[in-house]
Amino acid sequence: MNMASLAGQLLQYIVTGVTIGSIYAMVAIGFNIIYNVTEIINLAQGEFVMLGGLVMVSLHMLWKLPLIAAFPVTVVIVTGIGLLMNYAAIRPIRRPTVLTLIIATIAASMIIKGAAMLIWGTDSFDLTAFSGRTPILIAGAAIQPQYFWVIGFLVVIVAGLTFFFDKTIIGKAMSACSENAAAAQLVGIDVRWMVLLSFALSAAIGAIAGITMTPIALMDYDRGAMLAIKGFGAAVLGGLGSFPGAIVGGLMMGLIESLGAGFLWSGYKDAYALAALLIVLFIRPSGIMGNRDVIRFKRF
Amino acid sequence: MLEIRNLTAAYAAIPAIRDISLTVPEGGIVSIIGANGAGKSTLLKAISGLIQKKSGSIRFAGQDIICERANRIVARGISHVAEGRQIFAHMKVEDNIHLGAYLYHRRRHRQELQEHIRQVYEMFPVLGRRSRQIAGTLSGGEQQMLAIARALMARPKLLLLDEPSMGLAPLVVHDIFAIIQRLNQMGTTILLVEQNARAALRIAAYAYVLETGQMVLEGPAATLLTDSRVKAAYLGG
Repeated sequence: MNMASLAGQLLQYIVTGVTIGSIYAMVAIGFNIIYNVTEIINLAQGEFVMLGGLVMVSLHMLWKLPLIAAFPVTVVIVTGIGLLMNYAAIRPIRRPTVLTLIIATIAASMIIKGAAMLIWGTDSFDLTAFSGRTPILIAGAAIQPQYFWVIGFLVVIVAGLTFFFDKTIIGKAMSACSENAAAAQLVGIDVRWMVLLSFALSAAIGAIAGITMTPIALMDYDRGAMLAIKGFGAAVLGGLGSFPGAIVGGLMMGLIESLGAGFLWSGYKDAYALAALLIVLFIRPSGIMGNRDVIRFKRF
Repeated sequence: MLEIRNLTAAYAAIPAIRDISLTVPEGGIVSIIGANGAGKSTLLKAISGLIQKKSGSIRFAGQDIICERANRIVARGISHVAEGRQIFAHMKVEDNIHLGAYLYHRRRHRQELQEHIRQVYEMFPVLGRRSRQIAGTLSGGEQQMLAIARALMARPKLLLLDEPSMGLAPLVVHDIFAIIQRLNQMGTTILLVEQNARAALRIAAYAYVLETGQMVLEGPAATLLTDSRVKAAYLGG
């Protein structure tokens, strides 16, 4: 193997890793939004991604809605399911503790997965790539145009959320709930509404992740759990609750997975990133960007 | 303005209160004194809606608010400066102030809001100077001022203050009590809970003594200051 093709291969794996990592980062951001407001780990986060992909497939491939219309409609539908989940699984719990709520999210994820199997069956579905499938050749690496869409949407989401949390009063109110829910109520913030909003935002971001990844990786009803595990791993790796951490953690998970599968054994693809996660947690339990002082006061 | 009748509340780990009745007249300062764990904070949390009540009634400006949630009670005009200040420590001072006026942001009274922020900074010049600082880095006294300033942003008719002197140096305590008196002169009714009984009785018109969840004594503050039981238990003999 000559040097040029090795460099090309390396670039290929890195770009693939960053793309997969961007998906994990989006899932991790979804985890963090709900976790920050409620301390709940929403284990149905992966189902939002799965639904995003499959709803989009139905709208675009079956009902022939153009991509640009099907995209927002899908996000709205999945957001609606996120809200429904909040009303049906989270609010009715009479004595909410973090643990019972997390178990409720597991139940919700199973129901969503079961319903998806009834609707879409067990087949994998493809979706039209947004800008075709002609690879762009850069330095010996063949890069799918869809990769840029995935990375681009991560950038847009991060920019949007940064603006939302730093500049708008609703965003600040959400941060206030995560810092001190009682004090937030005492300035007039309706915490229940903020919880609802956090589910809506997470579902919307999950849907975007699902829509953008389907042209690369296909989508079936059973993909949610693994996406949730990887996304959760990314969130923990970066430091649970930290948005920069979610991005760093997601990209690291993606890169380790891609490089590991490329240069070592591809059969252990899912193991590399999770092994890296374990190592980081042994050395630094609060995650890469997590705040050690804050983590001491958290229950998880 | 505030009428509490036979209020009972108990909740897992916090001290319970039993059969409490109390009245706060409009424009006055009422103090509640009592030892640690007597239920003073529980009473304030019950009024502001942070905890649920078992029985009794709470009427504010003629309306029953016993079943309202905390965020609605703020909107009605009761602001609670909770024990331990409870500022948003990781946010800037100005963010804390803005969040204090959360209800007004939503009603889109932007101009009024700016004017109100200016007034609060005028009252607490130190907060104005430090508006871009992270709130957690302020000194204890400044944090207490921020907690009060944040509560004022909601334009309360009644201000509930829980241990505003806690952990502060005597000089700073003096400042805080001066501010409380000034707020009262400007028209805010005040219900003050304090372990520092002497200071609390000096600025109040009327006072209650709370012991193990029950009101054991009440009267004009000046009378309580000379009461032998109060002297022995709360004023150091």
